[in-house]
Amino acid sequence: MADKDYSSTDDPTLVRAAQRGDMAAFEELVVRHRDKIYARALTMMRNEEEAIDLSQEAWVKGWQRLKQFQGEASFGTWMTRIVINLCLDQLRKQKRQRAESIEEIDEESGGVERQMPVVTVNPTAGLERQELRQRIDQALNQLSYEHRTVLVLHQFEEMEYKQIARTMGCSIGTVMSRLFYARRKLAALLADLKKRDER
Amino acid sequence: MDYEAQLKLQAHLDGELPEGEAREVTNWLARDREAVALYGELRNTRQALVGYEVGVALPESREFFWSKIEREIRRLKPPETPVHPAPLLSAWRKWLIPAGTVAAVASAVLVGVFGETRISTVETAVADPAAFTYHDYSSRTTLVWFSYPADDELADRTPAAIVE
Repeated sequence: MADKDYSSTDDPTLVRAAQRGDMAAFEELVVRHRDKIYARALTMMRNEEEAIDLSQEAWVKGWQRLKQFQGEASFGTWMTRIVINLCLDQLRKQKRQRAESIEEIDEESGGVERQMPVVTVNPTAGLERQELRQRIDQALNQLSYEHRTVLVLHQFEEMEYKQIARTMGCSIGTVMSRLFYARRKLAALLADLKKRDER
Repeated sequence: MDYEAQLKLQAHLDGELPEGEAREVTNWLARDREAVALYGELRNTRQALVGYEVGVALPESREFFWSKIEREIRRLKPPETPVHPAPLLSAWRKWLIPAGTVAAVASAVLVGVFGETRISTVETAVADPAAFTYHDYSSRTTLVWFSYPADDELADRTPAAIVE
């Protein structure tokens, strides 16, 4: 438990204190941002335990690299980038350990989404937040990590195509294809879930 | 609609097109129902994801989560080097080593220049003019020659005594 009461101190002041080695200040930063960091790890990893472990690892890395934080972005954004990179490393490791499926090769070549019929009715209209979240969870679970990551970086990190390309080490064209596929697949999956519910 | 056109629609939705191309896509959307349908689907999907992460909470207590982080930080933290004032001897050593080296070099130069005349001397004893004494102070050696005949021939070539 923190010795000092930092609950009303702003993030930049806490960061400066933590940079001087004040662990109580860092603890307050963890308390403030832990849910967001965990949520991002969970969206990417689709596994609660891995998300907890990686978010914890991100905080430890954050402490170790704290002196490098210059305040160009907010502390929360800086921490989110750390956890995203850790998740990407982990997902790449996992991918190397399993064989690439034929479907994934199709996804990469950008052929599948062209054959999908357009979903004309909004499949999430009128859903409560909890229900919507469950459906998106189900749909995201079926995307490959590359497609999910592009979606996360674009949608939640609000990165531009070129930033995503840099982060993922691919071309802008690949980013556009992956994002397009991810959205189309997600739309199809959500429509499918809606149909199943209506039956 | 070809794939390039589909990707252009998406880029328009994401605000990634330059102004001129964005205007072209807007005009295209005004007259192409297929494009409008696809654009609508992409927009709905994007909209569905808004707020997706809101309300997600770490399923561990604050204390437990922090305790794990703190433990790991302390484990990885390199041990801090104690800051003690340097002992007097080691402080002097820093100065003495270069100074000593300079002194040694200077001595060697002096010996080289004056060594011949100062360190070795040859003397003739007043009491015995036939005896020569050689002092080498550097090796603390004294050699004495006697010029008068000895019992054997070696006396001419061999010092009579070596005193250290």
